[in-house]
Amino acid sequence: MNFKYYIWVILLVSSAVLLCGGQTALAQESAAAAAIVPASGPLEVIFFWVLAIMIIGSALWIALTGSVVRMAVGLFFSFGGVALLFFLLQAYFLGVVQLIVYVGGILVLVVFGIMLTSSSPHVRYQVPRMELATTGLVSLLLFMVLGHVLYHAPWSTTGPQLPVSMNELGRGLLTDYLVPFELAGVVLLVVMVGAAYLARQEKR
Amino acid sequence: MDAGQQISGLLIIGAVVPLLMFVLLAFLGPRLGKPFASFPAIFGILVSFGCAALALQRWWYVLTDDERVEAAASAYSWPWVVLGDIPIRFGVQLDSLTIAMYFMVTLVSSCIFIFSRGYMSGHSDEVDGVSKYHRFFAYLSLFAFSMLGLVISDSLLFLFIFWELVGLCSYLLIGYYFDRKYASNAAIKAFVVNRVGDFGFIIGLGLVALFLKDLSIGGAIAAFQSQSSGETGLFARDTAINLFGWYVRGDIVATLMGVFLFCGCIGKSAQVPLQVWLPDAMAGPTPVSALIHAATMVAAGVYLVARIFPLLTPGAQAVVAMVGGVTLILAALMAIVQTDIKKALAYSTLSQLGYMVFGMGMGAWVGALFHLITHAFFKAMLFLGSGQVIEGCHHEQDMRKMGGLWRKMPVTAFTFLVGVLAISGVGWPGKNTTPFFGLGGYYSKDEILAVAWFQTYGLSAASDGHHAGNFRERATDPLTNAHGYDSVILAGYSAEEGQHQTAHAGLETASGLKSDASLQPWIPKWLVWLAIITAWITPFYMMRVWWLTFMGKPRDEPVYHHAHESPGMYIPLVILAIGTFAASWFLFRGLIVDAAQHVAHISKLVVPLDGHEHLIHAFSGPALNKLVWPAFIVGFIAAFFIYRRGLKLAERIIDLPVVEQFYWILWQKFYFDEAYNKLVLAGTILFSRICGWFDKWVVDFVLVEGCARVVKGLAFFSGQRLDAGGIDQVAENLGRTAFRIGDLFRAVQTGRIRNYVIYTAATLAVVISVMVWW
Amino acid sequence: MFTAIGLTHYLLLAAMLFCIGLWVMASKRNAIGVLIGVELILNASNINLLAFARYSTGGMNGHLIALFVIVLAAAEAAIAIAIVVNLYKNFMSVDVDKAATMKN
Repeated sequence: MNFKYYIWVILLVSSAVLLCGGQTALAQESAAAAAIVPASGPLEVIFFWVLAIMIIGSALWIALTGSVVRMAVGLFFSFGGVALLFFLLQAYFLGVVQLIVYVGGILVLVVFGIMLTSSSPHVRYQVPRMELATTGLVSLLLFMVLGHVLYHAPWSTTGPQLPVSMNELGRGLLTDYLVPFELAGVVLLVVMVGAAYLARQEKR
Repeated sequence: MDAGQQISGLLIIGAVVPLLMFVLLAFLGPRLGKPFASFPAIFGILVSFGCAALALQRWWYVLTDDERVEAAASAYSWPWVVLGDIPIRFGVQLDSLTIAMYFMVTLVSSCIFIFSRGYMSGHSDEVDGVSKYHRFFAYLSLFAFSMLGLVISDSLLFLFIFWELVGLCSYLLIGYYFDRKYASNAAIKAFVVNRVGDFGFIIGLGLVALFLKDLSIGGAIAAFQSQSSGETGLFARDTAINLFGWYVRGDIVATLMGVFLFCGCIGKSAQVPLQVWLPDAMAGPTPVSALIHAATMVAAGVYLVARIFPLLTPGAQAVVAMVGGVTLILAALMAIVQTDIKKALAYSTLSQLGYMVFGMGMGAWVGALFHLITHAFFKAMLFLGSGQVIEGCHHEQDMRKMGGLWRKMPVTAFTFLVGVLAISGVGWPGKNTTPFFGLGGYYSKDEILAVAWFQTYGLSAASDGHHAGNFRERATDPLTNAHGYDSVILAGYSAEEGQHQTAHAGLETASGLKSDASLQPWIPKWLVWLAIITAWITPFYMMRVWWLTFMGKPRDEPVYHHAHESPGMYIPLVILAIGTFAASWFLFRGLIVDAAQHVAHISKLVVPLDGHEHLIHAFSGPALNKLVWPAFIVGFIAAFFIYRRGLKLAERIIDLPVVEQFYWILWQKFYFDEAYNKLVLAGTILFSRICGWFDKWVVDFVLVEGCARVVKGLAFFSGQRLDAGGIDQVAENLGRTAFRIGDLFRAVQTGRIRNYVIYTAATLAVVISVMVWW
Repeated sequence: MFTAIGLTHYLLLAAMLFCIGLWVMASKRNAIGVLIGVELILNASNINLLAFARYSTGGMNGHLIALFVIVLAAAEAAIAIAIVVNLYKNFMSVDVDKAATMKN
């Protein structure tokens, strides 16, 4: 079956929701206090929309396609979009980390997983269409509820903050966040050992 | 860089190099293969020995007394963590005791490592086609690191960590032949029995942290002393301490603390009642028995007691002395009947450890540690000798099949004889108090005995604080008189005695020494007699071992035929034999006396001193002349007459009526193992019976049957009265409804995670909607 | 209308990504597909964290927590892939429905 048309329809609807929601919220905020309107240039706006459409579109593609290889491709665009979004949020370090870890690491891992596990890359395990529709509906329902809450919540925005420098981040990691930092190191070590153990070739 | 940093740095390097070699062997060992895997280990321990020798030279021959005090204060010490308000540091405990122990451990280890190379080369070491040769040397290196770490650490916590590490190494090495059932059993037994002791040790550590607020050895001792002299904290009057809900007097808690810490020693040094693991530990390779289960690790318990000595109250000391006293005689008796050469040596080790612990309890701090060091040399030598015999006779350990081996292995026979003489305390008194000749135990064991005698019976005549040098003439007691102390120092905290002895530097006289003050009020008088009796047994069983193995006629032709010795293995024996002589005569006792001066400020111990320190010990003269000195002559002659013509006479003696009973008790090792088996088994059975009884009467009878009767009564009532009222119908409908609802929920339980995910999402949506729009 | 982007834009985008991730998780029989859904959800949470860091007071906390989320996501992905490979070895398939031998 072909989901091409569904994708475009859903994408359009969701962009519209995003647009209306965001814009009206912004209008309300600005009505409350003009000072807190974030000063964003036209370029930022354009980038946001492009990225939003890219992220949501590829995510929807992932949801609707049946082939794991296509899912991986969709994942690439989704991750990349999120990374670029981080740059837009002026979280440069996190953007780079996102690119390296997600796009460079996890995605490769997923592709390896796909290659290691599929006897043929085009084997598909589809759920019944009915189930796809129900789960989609439930997800949509959840989104509507969440969107409602997000839309009406009185966020106390203080306007755009100064970007956090890498210096500060490094200092933070080694002072206030030292214990989580060390713990993360331990977790990674354990994961490395554990993954190697789980995936090793059994001696016959 | 000052001297303290230099020396402590040397000690640290010496400890770390074996660790590096362990890592190297752990990763590269299999590639190095059979003969080469031993080289890094030997190299590592030789480096350690070099560091030890340098440190000793700097410490003992370059520095003066005052400089040593300064150096000790400037040793390396790094903060590690702060637990609550207790800072934990890792530092080097730099004093003469550390240096002496360190030197002894590295020297003995070096000899044993070299010996191991020869010993392991003739052993099959493959399990399932994989060689484990490298593991042996890796474990040995790890052991060397842990043992050296134990010796140098100045914090009780780090001492405990290394303590556990040596325990681990012991476990690994006892179970080296893990493909053989008895070896892996012995390893598990050793590990479990040690845990029992360590459990007590860790409780003791907890008490130290709780009441003394400091886990470093020096800090804990200082806190203990200030509390006891100022009568604050633990020793505050009229204040009961809440110990897990019980209100206990503080000084009792202090005694308990010492006893709990001593529990670690009971486990590791294999004292009664935890002695059962050490004989079984002989399942390991013989060099391991020599290094770990004779010379170093088991002596760590005594070292621990030496370190915590100032924390022991008189009551705790009495416990230490009694445990040691009971161990030394039981083990010596059991040693008489052993036929396995290694087992016999193991029991003699137990007995000698008992002497050390007994000496600690009696206040013979110097004597016990001196005995530790001489014992390490000669016992390592004896074990290596037995290893040479076992190796030469193709893994025959039964002495009944040996005999006459001296012709085939003369060097081994001779060095073994040196060990026998040393352990028996052979010596010949010279003029006055200077011994003509003496070896090993003649100095160290007899010092323990002398101090014990002093503690028990006191200096009956020297009671009025005269120059102790005079008391030699004045004392009417033949024993102490014969021993010929030049002076005795006795310094100590003692709240109840009210007098604070400040005899500094030990070389001064013991002014203010009172005979009664020196008596340990808690120690029973019979205890010293156990030690004296054992001193008579020891020469007999050691000579028995030597005679059965090396002298007489060969009793088993094939074994005799194969016997041989090899230079790669007997050279370490010769070195250790020389070490035995050297250790008896100079260096070590001086070091220990030096260390004792600092302990003696704060704790009560007895140091018999000679006029000329670190030369041949004039003091120990014809030790305990009347009572102990002839023991070795009698013992040797008895052994000679019984075993002169093989085993026949011994067998006839065993068949005598009373002896036979006694022999069986000894042969069954006083039924300790059986008792433990029975106790644990019977305890389990008793517990399960209690549970069964509870189940049968309380649960089954009262609850189940009682409920059943009540229900029956109710049912009767309802069946008669209410059933007709349509309750049946209602019940049936209820059941059906429940069934349907169950069916509904059963359909939901698909067992697929993805369905559960979506249920969660839906629930979340519903919950949020309810919260928002309600 | 297109002139400015605010916090709500990002939050709605994240919510949307979250719900799509959920959908992916719930509608894939392929174990790797499920894993991809989880990764989308984690990304959505990161967008939220950074959006708040940008538009609200909180300093670098948001950044650091996002960093830890990434670390844990990487760890989780590694383990998950290892499990999937193991699953494939045992069942010759990555169909999660087939790995239901515990059922019944």
